[in-house]
Formats: sequence, C-alpha cells, structure tokens
Amino acid sequence: MAHQADEHNTHSQTQEHEEHIGIPGYLGVFAILVVGTILTYFAATIDLDFIFPGANTLVALLIAFTKMTFVVLFFMHVRWQSRLIWLTVLAGFFWLAIMFAFTMQDYLTRGSGVFSG
Amino acid sequence: MATHADTLHEHHYHPPGLQHQFEDMKQQEESVSIGMWVFLVQEIMFFGGLFTVYLVFRSRFPMAFAAGSNHLDAFWGGLNTLVLIVSSLTMALTVYYAQKGNRNMQVILIILTMFFGSVFLGVKAIEYTDKYNHGTIPVDGWNKRIPAAGGQQEHTSLTLPFETKVSAAADSEPHESEAVHPNPRGEFQIEDKDLKLVEQAQAGKYLTESEKIGYFSNRQGSLPNGQIDAAKFRDKVRIFFWIYFVMTGLHALHMVIGLGVMLWLLWKAWLRTFSAEYFAPVETAGLYWHFVDIVWIFLFPLLYLLGRHFLHGGGH
Repeated sequence: MAHQADEHNTHSQTQEHEEHIGIPGYLGVFAILVVGTILTYFAATIDLDFIFPGANTLVALLIAFTKMTFVVLFFMHVRWQSRLIWLTVLAGFFWLAIMFAFTMQDYLTRGSGVFSG
Repeated sequence: MATHADTLHEHHYHPPGLQHQFEDMKQQEESVSIGMWVFLVQEIMFFGGLFTVYLVFRSRFPMAFAAGSNHLDAFWGGLNTLVLIVSSLTMALTVYYAQKGNRNMQVILIILTMFFGSVFLGVKAIEYTDKYNHGTIPVDGWNKRIPAAGGQQEHTSLTLPFETKVSAAADSEPHESEAVHPNPRGEFQIEDKDLKLVEQAQAGKYLTESEKIGYFSNRQGSLPNGQIDAAKFRDKVRIFFWIYFVMTGLHALHMVIGLGVMLWLLWKAWLRTFSAEYFAPVETAGLYWHFVDIVWIFLFPLLYLLGRHFLHGGGH
C-alpha cells in the first residue's frame, strides 16, 4: 500500500494529469454497480434465516459496502489521491464506527423494559 | 496587486487557474479535495446519526421494521437505485471531459446528470403519494381520508400525471393484498397481514426482549394478557415510517441541492471555464453527487428490502 502510494507520487510529478481509468474503466465500475443492485434485490427475496437470523441483512450490507468501495475508489478518484485524503476518508468511517459501537454498547447492555437488550 | 504578482511570477509559467497562495496546481487540487472530503466526513456523521437511530430501533423491533418495509415498493426503490447509478456514471464522465476541456460533452453530460436526478425526485414523489393514499404517513390526519361507509365510491386520491382517473380508481380497488381500509380521520394505519409477521416470529421464538413487551397487551390494557396488541404494534411500525420519511426526505433535499449545484456547473461549463488545468469545481461537485449516491446505496436495502424474505421465502 505504502509502496504503491510512493510510486504514485513520483509518477504524478512527471505527469500532471492522470487518465484515471478512462471511459472503459468507468463503464466497468458502472456495470459492477448495476450487477450489485440486481444482486441485492434478489438476495433479499431468498430467506437466509436458516444460516442465522439476520443473514439477509449481512448479505445486503456486504453488497452495499462493495458498491460503495467502487464508487469511492474510482468515481471519487480516491484510488489516485494522496495518503492525506486516504486518511481523511478512512477517519470518517472510523468515527462512524465509534458512534455505532458506543451507542450499541449502551443499548445492548440495558436491564429491563422496552429498551432492554 | 496585479503588478506585484506579475513581478513575482514573471520568470516562470503561471497556470491561469492557480490561486496565489498555492505553490502549484497539484497542491491546489489536493487542498480543494481535502476541503471537500472534510465536508463529506461531516455529512457521513450527519447521516450517520440517522443510521444510528435506525440501528437502535431496528435492533429493538425487527418485525415491526420488516412489516413497515414490506409496505414500501421495492420496484420503485430499485429503479431509483439504478437511476442514481446512471447519474453517477454521467457525473464521473463529466469530470473526465472537464479534464479534457471538452465543453460540449460536459454540457451534455451535466444535463443528463440533472435529468436522472430529476427522475429520481419524480419517483420519490410517486412513492410519497402512494404512502399518502395508503395511510402510512406517520402523522395522524396527514393521510388521505377514506370514509368508512361504502368503500367503493368515487376515487378521491391524488392522481399521478400519467394516470387516468379510471386506472387510478382501478388501482385503489381491493385487488391482491392492496386493500385500502377506511380511514376517515387520515390516521397512520397498518394492515392485518402485518400482524402475521409477529405470529410467525412468535412461533419461531425469535422475538426480541423489546418486542415481547412492545407488541403484546399487558395488565393495563383492555385485551387479555399476552395477546398481540395491534395498536402497540402499529406504533412500532410508525417508528419505521418516521425513519423512512426523515432519511429519504433528507436524502431528497441533498438531491435538490445537488441539482442547484449542477445548474451552476452547467453555466460555468457553457462558458468554457474548465480545462485540463482548472476543473476543481467539477471534481468537487462530483464528489458531492457520488456521496449522495452512496447514501442511497445503503438506504435502498436497509429501508426497502429488509422484510422481503418473510414474504417470499419460508413457503407461506
């Protein structure tokens, strides 16, 4: 990863503007997003609760994360950005994870009542 | 000021889009990207708060959420997902052609992006209308009022632009499982079939602790202890619809703002503002547009699809 970024930095000094992935690349990402959407739709109609309750949600979120990763890396050009921008993006998701984790460690450990775990 | 800058830079090439506080275009572009990404991180936290609300309440009342989700039309939600993905593609290509300085392709692609953004909002309007007609707006009195006596009278609901009165009336006939219940005061309503999800979960013994308290009558109620209380269950479904309207409404507001940004971008592109050396506004607007797309990528499965396997799987 770090090695890749170094390579990129020296590369971009010699060439002002990269082509990124070009039109075929963008169409490829688009195709992946469309396939992901169709896959999400049909995965939701199959009852996966026999694996464990909530398996459907896990599959849906995995597909959504994959789609998001392609959008962020290629449509939003993070793939070619400096490490500072990588850090900013990852920090966003890190703080989001903290918000989810700290909220749920409260709600999932409450005693009795409607909001009990 | 101008003469001072001229003497400072007379020895080397100065790109036309370069602001004087930056060393070179590379540094300027990175600064712009960082600024936009910090804004987007703030947006992640903004929507993240709502996703947290979703997480808390869905973990409490999964069956009420499944029932609410099954009232949403996954066809429209899925169509809108595809529409947004196409608009993201046209946006990405706009940035590509801005870097090439191709003015005509920029203009065409910005118009296409705005077109698909508008289609998205149009579909949302159709969906919200449907919620109004079926009594699933979570505020009592804000839904369509359907008189109790003689359900089969003249069609009074909102008619969509492409719909004739007759086809709209035919739609509101109680065919399939789409029966419209009388709703004289425009209250938030659920259907009897929604309660089947509770029975199903009860039979499978996977109600959460909150659901065991939140769906059933207790000593204070008029029903015998331990029976499914439709009114209590309805209030949990109502939470789902609050979350649905707030999240999709906020997302739609972002789309409207995005369309405004696109309009400005269209004007600038028309004036041949952007080139290989200066395209930061296109890049930044693109980041915003893709972010809004990403929010929808998560909203679609989490709101529209979460209860569908109860309808299609399990052989019932």
